[in-house]
Amino acid sequence: MRAIVTRRREWSVARFLPTVTILVFALLSVLPLRFPDYAAVAPLLALAGLYYWTIYRPDLVPPVAIFLCGVVLDLLSGAPLGVAALVFLLTRLVVMPQRRFFVDRLFPFVWGGFTLLAAGTIAFLWLLGSLLSGVVLDMRAATLQWVLTVACFPAIAYLLVRVQRSLLPSL
Amino acid sequence: MRLAVPVKAISQRFALPVLVFASVVMVVLGKADALLFERIRVVFADIASPALAVVSQPVAAVDRLVDRVQGAIALYSENDQLRQDNARLMQWQNVAQSLTVENARLRELLNLAPDPTVSFVSTRVIANSGGSFVRSVLVDAGSRDGLARGQAAMTGAGLAGRITEVGDRAARVLLLTDRNSHVPVAFDGSRERAVLAGDNSDRPQLLYLPEQSSVKIGDRIVSSGDGGVFPPGLPIGIVASIDDGVLRVEPYAELSRLDYLRIVNYGLSGVLPQPVMPRVVKSRGAAREPAP
Repeated sequence: MRAIVTRRREWSVARFLPTVTILVFALLSVLPLRFPDYAAVAPLLALAGLYYWTIYRPDLVPPVAIFLCGVVLDLLSGAPLGVAALVFLLTRLVVMPQRRFFVDRLFPFVWGGFTLLAAGTIAFLWLLGSLLSGVVLDMRAATLQWVLTVACFPAIAYLLVRVQRSLLPSL
Repeated sequence: MRLAVPVKAISQRFALPVLVFASVVMVVLGKADALLFERIRVVFADIASPALAVVSQPVAAVDRLVDRVQGAIALYSENDQLRQDNARLMQWQNVAQSLTVENARLRELLNLAPDPTVSFVSTRVIANSGGSFVRSVLVDAGSRDGLARGQAAMTGAGLAGRITEVGDRAARVLLLTDRNSHVPVAFDGSRERAVLAGDNSDRPQLLYLPEQSSVKIGDRIVSSGDGGVFPPGLPIGIVASIDDGVLRVEPYAELSRLDYLRIVNYGLSGVLPQPVMPRVVKSRGAAREPAP
């Protein structure tokens, strides 16, 4: 931990990089792609970014940064303010104690972890959405969103591995 | 950055629970008062719109390419179709022209007040959001382009929604399918009234229909003008299904794939919830004058 702290001082700009990548994914996830009904099933790209960084460099995504990313995503998507912030903070709360099981494992294991996390997150969002709106929301859309989110993870992880290797000091 | 060790330890320990609590408070407050965070949203939309406009550019480019390829493939059949349409529409144009003249003459006879001046702004959709919570889009025009709350957002085919939040250069459009959208509508033929209410599904529902209603699948729905937000007669959609007394409407506008929207100012102020911020109230007042 001490070693990480010293390295962090040397790379003061780079230490904002994980947060920036999460924000970029948040921006990409609200792009108006013209697939029919895309908006309802748009993958949670920012969640994937957050999961990656929470496992590999949790020191670079402190709770405050996570909170801000969530607020930005809510503002971008027009969702009730605080929902994504809450989901992201809970993600950290859930993933942090487990990260030692993932950090040195092969990719399929990490991906499997994300599959569970995405399922939990989307179920939580679905439940919260149903509660806030007072109607039972469409479950098929939520399921498809889960599939798309999980399917996007390898690409996101690949990108972030590249970012981490080239711009951040070695693991 | 050099906090004393105990302070740092305490802040690290409590940051997460405090922030989780703050998020929950925000969700609850936002639910209790929908307009509470509007100012923040508007300011943020203004800040984010240039970035969104840039990153959505490649998407638009790919879209255009796909359109062009599809267009090239369908060139002959489409041309044929367009010829037929053109012939038919020429005929309708004649009808419309003579009706416009006749309408003007009759209005003169009746001494009717002239319709308010209509102005519109065409704008690109720069963010589209959905998920479990909302059906809304962000467009890259704002109050500096003459947009104001309550103005109608139309596609070529029909009504898509209305403006709910306006910043300087970006605005949010609440789509017909959103759970918070309630539009007074009428059936084109019978003039029976109802309310078109979104529920975050693709097809909004018709509520408050008269008991003995003769509605059937395929009936045209237009805005009724009640409430004074939209003028009467804007095309909205057709009745698509009747299930257990639940009527659903297929909007003419393809809400799931919007690219450009025409924001129309009909000079109406209507009965929308009053915003809390004085600045927005001012811009609503300005909306009554037709935009240049």
